[in-house]
Amino acid sequence: MTKCIVLRGRGIVEGYCKAEALVSTKPISFLGDVDPENGKIVEKRHDLYGESVKDKALCFPHGHGSTVGSYILYSLARKGLAPKAIINHKADPVIVVGAVMANIPMVDKIEIGQIKNGDLVEVNANKGTVKILKLSGELKSRI
Amino acid sequence: MKMLVKLGELFDASRLIPIDSAHVSGVSYKTLGEAPTDFLTALANANEKVVVEATLNPQSLDPKHLAKRLPTNLVERQRKLNTIFDKLGFLKSFTCTPYYIKEPRSGAHLAWAESSAVVYANSVLKAWTNREGGPSALAAAIIGKTPDCGIHRIENRKPKAIAEVEATLEDETEYGALGIFLGKILEDKIPLIKGLRNPSLENLKQLGAALASAGMANMFHYEESAVTEGKLEKITVETKHIKETLEELTTATTQKPDLIFVGCPHCSLQEIKEIANTIRNRKVKSNIEFWICTSRKIKEKAKAYVSKIEASGAKILTDTCAIVTWTDKLGIKTIMTNSAKTSHYAPTLNKAETILAPLKECLKTALKQ
Repeated sequence: MTKCIVLRGRGIVEGYCKAEALVSTKPISFLGDVDPENGKIVEKRHDLYGESVKDKALCFPHGHGSTVGSYILYSLARKGLAPKAIINHKADPVIVVGAVMANIPMVDKIEIGQIKNGDLVEVNANKGTVKILKLSGELKSRI
Repeated sequence: MKMLVKLGELFDASRLIPIDSAHVSGVSYKTLGEAPTDFLTALANANEKVVVEATLNPQSLDPKHLAKRLPTNLVERQRKLNTIFDKLGFLKSFTCTPYYIKEPRSGAHLAWAESSAVVYANSVLKAWTNREGGPSALAAAIIGKTPDCGIHRIENRKPKAIAEVEATLEDETEYGALGIFLGKILEDKIPLIKGLRNPSLENLKQLGAALASAGMANMFHYEESAVTEGKLEKITVETKHIKETLEELTTATTQKPDLIFVGCPHCSLQEIKEIANTIRNRKVKSNIEFWICTSRKIKEKAKAYVSKIEASGAKILTDTCAIVTWTDKLGIKTIMTNSAKTSHYAPTLNKAETILAPLKECLKTALKQ
């Protein structure tokens, strides 16, 4: 059986999903950083500039900035553009409120540095775990 | 209700506490869009009503100066939203500085969204509020309560880091740059900022607005007398940090703005007075728009200065600001501002280039000599 990495954190908004990880080392303000019309990161200084959050397990350290961010997450979900899961190092109330409204599984207290772009992850927000099922490309040295 | 309970659970609240007031963000149709409008409509149709004094953040237009210049369908959407907020029982404050309308008492528990107002309330006015998401401030307004967690608890209001400011801050843009610089480093840690030299309230407003834009800290301490416990992380802020941050916040290569915008956060009476006194009898250049944004209440209070300023060709806008209106639909490509917060957001929210410069530079650029 293939070994896999299991990261344990805290479940915030219940739910379960499998999705491809999109990982940032920078915080995200959903108002300003994300275009609510297409789900893409539009902040040029962001390390995910040009990437779409749609259907991703979106990993970033924490939210910041505008308190309207909660509504943007809700809008993205209504348009089918939201991430499938949110994985944070530290939960920001603005993101929590958005994830509750949009019903997006969310966990925090996760060492997101362990997850790389393109990894297939299984998020169990009921238990607060993130399991890395399939490592992206060249990074198999992680296990 | 679910979101308040969820927040409470996460941040270890054992109860809900009554609040004096609520202030909601997510009022401009530009930032909100259609889905949240449906959500708010459903709340209003269910006959929900606020039970505490509840104020609104800026909307997407100034009824006098901008309504006629913007597409009719967008103006209509905003008006529909305003009707919904009216039905929910909100005061038509349309400002990001609710503390200029009614200053909360020291020690009062509040549920405010609008991150700049949260930081100002906690740090300068010594009221107690978390940085609520727009919808959780709305929920708190309807039930009159908020979870007793975060910085509603005294143990969470203590400094967690010390910022030693070695740089001498010359003007409001440098206070803003300090906020952006610290916000990026601090995550949610409350700093004790040492070395500020008699900052004006307006400079503290700029500092707080920028801090909240770049980070999630919801207050700062700045009195030398603030008590610290144990060994705290220390950050030294040198002149080069401020200079580099200022440079990053100017994205324009041209020095020719289409719009000069002052009033992020909304101007105080003092700021309007200062602008009027600097303008004297000069006129705004014909190829530049000059907006000074504030609340209806401050504009009313500043009547004598308003006529003087408007005689120059500058516009005093109420209810809105450059960030939450559609400047791109007015043909504005480059915005000069004295606000680090605006410089931070305008490239994405306005699709505009920015020039960050202190008020005196903004006035110099705007006016015929």
